[in-house]
Amino acid sequence: MAHIPIQRHRLDNGLRVILSPDGRTPIVAVNLWYGVGSRHEERGRTGFAHLFEHMMFQGSANVAKGEHFAMVNGVGGTLNASTWTDRTNYFETLPSHELELALWLESDRMASLLPAMTQEKLDNQRDVVKNERRSSVDNQPYGTAEERMQALLWPEGHPYHHSTIGSMEDLSAASLEDVSRFFATYYAPNNAVLTVAGDFDPEAALAAVGRHFGPIPANPDLPPSPIMDVPDSLGGEVREVVPDQVELPRVHVAYRIPPFGTEGHQAFDVVSDLLGTGRASRLYRSLVRERQLAADVAAFVFPWAGGSTVLAVWATARPEIEVDTLEAQLLDDVARLATDGPTDDELARVRTLHAAAAEQGLEQVGERADRLSQYACLFDRPEMVNTEIERYDAVTAGQVRQAMADRAGADNRLVLTYIPAEDAAEDAA
Amino acid sequence: MTPPNALRPAPGPPRPYHFPDFTHRPLGQGLTLWVVPLPDRELVSVQLLVDGGAAAESEPEGGIAALTAETLVTGTRRLDGHAFAEATERLGIEIFADSSWDVARSGFSALADRYPAGLELLAEMVREPRFDEGEFDRLREERLADILQSRSEPGRLADEWFLRAVYADDSPYARLSAGTPETVEPLTVEQARAHHARHWRPDRAHLVVAGPVRVDDVVRAAEATLGDWDGTSPGHRTIPVADRGGRRIVVVDRPGSVQSELRVGHVGIERSHPDYFPALVMAALLGGTFSSRLNQRLREELGYTYGARAAFDMRRAAGPFSARAAVQTEVTADAVRETLALVEGMRAAPPDEAELREVIDFLIGVFPLRFETTGGAAAGIEPIAVYGLDHDWWATYRDRIEAVGPVQVHDAAVDLLRPADALIVLAGDAARVRPDLEAADLGPIEVVRPADD
Repeated sequence: MAHIPIQRHRLDNGLRVILSPDGRTPIVAVNLWYGVGSRHEERGRTGFAHLFEHMMFQGSANVAKGEHFAMVNGVGGTLNASTWTDRTNYFETLPSHELELALWLESDRMASLLPAMTQEKLDNQRDVVKNERRSSVDNQPYGTAEERMQALLWPEGHPYHHSTIGSMEDLSAASLEDVSRFFATYYAPNNAVLTVAGDFDPEAALAAVGRHFGPIPANPDLPPSPIMDVPDSLGGEVREVVPDQVELPRVHVAYRIPPFGTEGHQAFDVVSDLLGTGRASRLYRSLVRERQLAADVAAFVFPWAGGSTVLAVWATARPEIEVDTLEAQLLDDVARLATDGPTDDELARVRTLHAAAAEQGLEQVGERADRLSQYACLFDRPEMVNTEIERYDAVTAGQVRQAMADRAGADNRLVLTYIPAEDAAEDAA
Repeated sequence: MTPPNALRPAPGPPRPYHFPDFTHRPLGQGLTLWVVPLPDRELVSVQLLVDGGAAAESEPEGGIAALTAETLVTGTRRLDGHAFAEATERLGIEIFADSSWDVARSGFSALADRYPAGLELLAEMVREPRFDEGEFDRLREERLADILQSRSEPGRLADEWFLRAVYADDSPYARLSAGTPETVEPLTVEQARAHHARHWRPDRAHLVVAGPVRVDDVVRAAEATLGDWDGTSPGHRTIPVADRGGRRIVVVDRPGSVQSELRVGHVGIERSHPDYFPALVMAALLGGTFSSRLNQRLREELGYTYGARAAFDMRRAAGPFSARAAVQTEVTADAVRETLALVEGMRAAPPDEAELREVIDFLIGVFPLRFETTGGAAAGIEPIAVYGLDHDWWATYRDRIEAVGPVQVHDAAVDLLRPADALIVLAGDAARVRPDLEAADLGPIEVVRPADD
């Protein structure tokens, strides 16, 4: 779909509404982005935005606990939600004739979550979230890497310093009063974007949106964004070694880079593909195929718009390979991109791969709705979904070289290494 | 008076939906071509399916099917591994190849104008693979590293030990389809060449193309690339699937674990089982959705876990049935007891109409969502091609789900669930979970270490 249709509306209460009709399959996606994530959390309440997301499924004035899932599943729909640093999103994809069910469920909890809240529900979901943390972080090899990366890339007190899942201690401290305050502060129509994509009649859908969301009052006192300023560079190399329950060492290297959505950021989307997307990418070729130092590699950037964000790469050592050897070669491969820059053929390849991936990403109405919400929520420009490919293709070899030279040097580098706990014990002995 | 928005809105009239029309025809030397024209899409999905999965291996070569598939994408006679990767990525495609028990497959997804060039590369890869010894050895070492790595991942550890303890020794299903360290370590590139020569043959193979294509064009492109691909293959062997049976607990010791990865189950049923639909509905009701009994109880009522599920893994021969969850260490024995009680509950009485209705409505309603993408439509052809299902499989699917009533669900539970015989595998901290398990008296307990053989 070269050009996604976009209709923009705004209700009197400030709710931004994006409509993107497409009748090819009789299904429809409803997607809400609230402009609140873990970077908005108060001190001592890390993990709260995500715990709150769970509470949004515990019922509201007209919906009982469990009914949200049951009703959407019960018509053949799928649904979920997720929380990250900058936002919290809620989404349903369902047969198109049930569009209004999703609108009603979303509006009911936006309008009237608090009457349904109880201590018992909070305690239950606190346990669930603690188990989510155990499953995805504490009981997973390398599971704490992202959290450690955030803690080392941003200073204490910075909104990106702590992870979205938060700490066990802070989760334990969360109270019903926190739930009320958080809801009243952030879960207001003027802090949200509602996108509908797929098979629907725009006029009827807009009328239904107005019916369900129109009466919900705005919050006239939305707090300003927390201060996100940090220097462009870490000001030196930061290193940490983490002994963990892992069999193979893994080295993570990360850099502070400009925020998602800025021109300075765009080059790093290209950088991450040059380094790590596909079997012809530089790191796969060098570390996995030719030198056989790594069992696997990855490179990615986080699309965080609040302030500086991160370019990260990692490689897992093959058995018998010294992690220092792997690290040296990895750093050399990254540095080479700053000195040599990409070849024309490399740039052409990642552009073609990116264009195909972009198309694939937009194939599902659910994903399309999420991207529209993203651009509308972060930049108030949903149309950016239609220029993803052009923006990517506009990045030149010179810009890649410059971006790497500016940001990927030793003065802005985090090296975080996971090693088997037994090795650490032996070294200490 | 109730405000208007207090009531769940009534649905509009549903728009009819059916699985996309498709055609199939023999091509060249026995290959079957399936085309799913989806004229208003942007992407073409191409999948080549061969009867050369792990079920086609001989046991001492466990894992050769998976390694053969992986080695295929490391080049052709003309192009070495890196050059082949560059050639595909210039088209904006990444060719994958993998293998499960019942099928080995390779394919890609491409923008519509690129798929014929992609098909040429795929055909070159399948017909004139490079099978470079260095690349094979590298991939074998990566596989061994991955197996080593899996021993530090509690979920994979529990999966591996569950299979090992549930199937009798003579069943290949007692291992993962990708093999074990013992079977993978001695594999050579010669064996991969031989597996390919024997099994990557057209007579039992299927080529599936879905997307904005014309049938004639696809036939022409397939004729040009695979029309004279020849040879015959022996296909898969018959897999013995005896269950060791008997209630037992195996604790895979992982000291310091903050959770226990729990698997409860036994040998299940084969893909062609006559009770396929009742079994599907019954498992969904027990553990297939968020509102299922397992997830409601273990997560939403007790807070023991982030999520609990149960399902049959149906293969050509009887794959396992298992309920699964990662539960907090402190409540491990309780979680096992609750899980067993829920499985027993399925056998005790038929579900009530409302509970069953919700599950059936989910399975029927979610139908169009499954085939939204061209990849989804191609995946819809796979079971028809691989298991030889009726071509109207998807056309009648929803009616057959709808026909499952409370009695059939109950009968399926009584016939197919065997909680008294269930194996319980826990990957977790043995010292901390053992006393509670002993006190709960759920069965004899054996503690093993992850690296035990």
